[in-house]
Amino acid sequence: MPSAQLTALHNELKRAFDSPAGEQKCAPLLAQLKVRLAEAGLLLPDRNAKLEDLVFTREILEIGAFWSIRTRNVPSFDRYFSQLQTYYTDYRSLLPPSPREFPILGLNLIRLLTQNRIADFHTMLESLPQRNTDEVYENPYIKHPVNVERWLMEGSYSKVWNAREEAPAEEYKFFVDSLMGTIRNEIASCEESAYDSLPLKDAATLLFFTNKSDVVTFSQQRGWQVDFVSETINFATKGEEKIEIPKQKLIAANLKYARELEQIV
Amino acid sequence: MPEADVEMKPAADDKAAEEKASEESKETVPPTPVEEIKASIALIERAVTTLEPRFTHRVLRSLTSLKRKIDFSVLRDAVNDVYSKDTLVKESLLAWLPPAPAVEASMEIDQAPLPQKTPPPQSDPLPEAEVYLRLLILTLLLSSPDTHAKSMEMAHETVEKIQAWNRRSLDPLAARVWFALGRAYELGGELADVRPLFLSAQRTASLRRDDECQAVLINLLLRNYLHYNLYDQADKLVSKTTFPTSAGNPQLARYHYYLGRIKAVQLNYTAAHTNLQQAIRRAPPAKTAPGFFQAVHKYFIVVELLMGEIPERSLFRHPVLEKALTGYFEIVKAVRTGSLTQFQSTLSTYAGQFSVDRTYTLIVRLRQNVIKTGVRRLSLSYSRISLRDICVKLHLDSEEDAEYIVGKAIRDGVMEGKVVHEKGWMECGSGKNAYGPEVSEVFGRRIGYCLELHNESVKAMRYPLNAHRKELAAAEGAREREKELAKEIQDGELDDDDGLGDF
Repeated sequence: MPSAQLTALHNELKRAFDSPAGEQKCAPLLAQLKVRLAEAGLLLPDRNAKLEDLVFTREILEIGAFWSIRTRNVPSFDRYFSQLQTYYTDYRSLLPPSPREFPILGLNLIRLLTQNRIADFHTMLESLPQRNTDEVYENPYIKHPVNVERWLMEGSYSKVWNAREEAPAEEYKFFVDSLMGTIRNEIASCEESAYDSLPLKDAATLLFFTNKSDVVTFSQQRGWQVDFVSETINFATKGEEKIEIPKQKLIAANLKYARELEQIV
Repeated sequence: MPEADVEMKPAADDKAAEEKASEESKETVPPTPVEEIKASIALIERAVTTLEPRFTHRVLRSLTSLKRKIDFSVLRDAVNDVYSKDTLVKESLLAWLPPAPAVEASMEIDQAPLPQKTPPPQSDPLPEAEVYLRLLILTLLLSSPDTHAKSMEMAHETVEKIQAWNRRSLDPLAARVWFALGRAYELGGELADVRPLFLSAQRTASLRRDDECQAVLINLLLRNYLHYNLYDQADKLVSKTTFPTSAGNPQLARYHYYLGRIKAVQLNYTAAHTNLQQAIRRAPPAKTAPGFFQAVHKYFIVVELLMGEIPERSLFRHPVLEKALTGYFEIVKAVRTGSLTQFQSTLSTYAGQFSVDRTYTLIVRLRQNVIKTGVRRLSLSYSRISLRDICVKLHLDSEEDAEYIVGKAIRDGVMEGKVVHEKGWMECGSGKNAYGPEVSEVFGRRIGYCLELHNESVKAMRYPLNAHRKELAAAEGAREREKELAKEIQDGELDDDDGLGDF
């Protein structure tokens, strides 16, 4: 059983975490707890660790992960998540399932999406615990990032935009802003190649801006020409790039063939 | 692939020839399994004494065919024959075989003295022979579900023995024993527990440059990780180890298959495609290993679809694949026509099969490809089409979505065209010029492949040991003669000169 001191700290942390403005209070508590856990040899558990100790540590780490998101500290979330991985995979059969497991897994998925780490996103998705595939995919915490990824990939950006308010947990919203930034850039790059010109008003709707001045600043960032008279954006038409014959490469290749053929004959 | 064909066929022929020879010598009596085992042991001993692992490999190659012929009584006879004296080894081997029924027990007693009389007991058989017999017992134990626990126990004991002996000539046999151990754990459903053991063994094997064991162990570990969907760990293992290039084709095929799966999950479809293709090429013929052939092809088809290519239709008519791939065939049809509804209905019909094959998540990713193909088809058939119609034809939810999707398709280079927002339609541009620098690149890649094939085949050629000595001697002789001739000529010339001088 964890020592009395640890339990006291843990309770305090829980209280601080549940209170609305307890974010500042959490930081020192978490740091203290981590030191204590390390002293008790629980931070990196070995095979002999007791079950209740493991559950206890897992809870602290989970709170830490949530706290990191609330304070927008993604690297810290990353660390907590890697530590939790042990509990979610290696000790899966021993420990009772945690109610916070799927929210945290889902948060990690969203995080990977916002950082545009699609390959990692899919690797993560594959390695989700699969008791029953449907059960996992129907889980609201997992379903949300999975849907977002699908819409992003096929280009249904408006669906992503509409889904931003449907986040299954409060913490998901912390990622919404950066996700929207990603989407806007995606849309912008699509528009550059798909349109010759676009009315300012329509550009605003397409890019999910509510007023024109935002569109104008955004256009300036992307280097678009804004025609204020006709209120349109003109996308610089990239002239047909001249395709040059890669002479150097062709010569090198031909010389190589000659050398190899000489060796054969 | 070149290595395979060059190496395996002659060896098999050799084997057949040898069998024939041995048959002839025994007056057309086909060798009994016991005799075959004994012949194999003789070969193994020859391998040890001549330091030529080739013979051991030959024995191991015949293991599959031998497996079908043996049973416990055959093995008991073999053990009795090989170990003439009642040694500890013999007892320990016999202990693993189920006790013979009463009648057979008496037979055993009858038989035991017989071989003692006939061949004068020479030196004790080598450890390699013991491991070989153990391997045979193991394969037999593994084949029936009642003896799994026993096989695991035996595999462990055998592995410990091998590690204690630490003989390099044991390596090829050890690799097989490791494989049997992995199989035992898999059948027992306790794959996770054996991981540390495999990892340490892999370390030892790579330190000793034991290529066979290393290849087998890396594959076992990969299989282990992938069984639990631990793609991350599997990927790390791959990046931290180098797969021995000298490993046999079956191991290489497995390795490529696992690699292909990892790469496919990581969205690296091009690499996955190459790996799976290699796996198919290096795999044994479809008839001998249908399971592997089907499994690889399932992934191969999905990856090909994800790359935006349509697999060949003839693939689905292959006798071995036809039945196993029905679900995949339907998916291919849906993707080809670009119909989202058909895709969704096929997906739900075959969902069970796909999750068993573990391709479900990959197939779900195909959704965007279906849409892309749809957009592409539309762009090819219409020069101008309204977003509303696109929406209806592709079963999209709203015009807004259609606009974004078309925009993305244009950016991704799926099609050429423009969206005219004010009018709400899409104008499709002319197709791209087919000839560009990429053509020469593809050409270069193909030529490179052919050249590599040639070079590898040259490298894979085998020459009999010491055969060049004879040639050398001949060459030496020729040179000698030449020298003599030269000398004679010189002498002659000198003579001539002398003569001339005299003259």
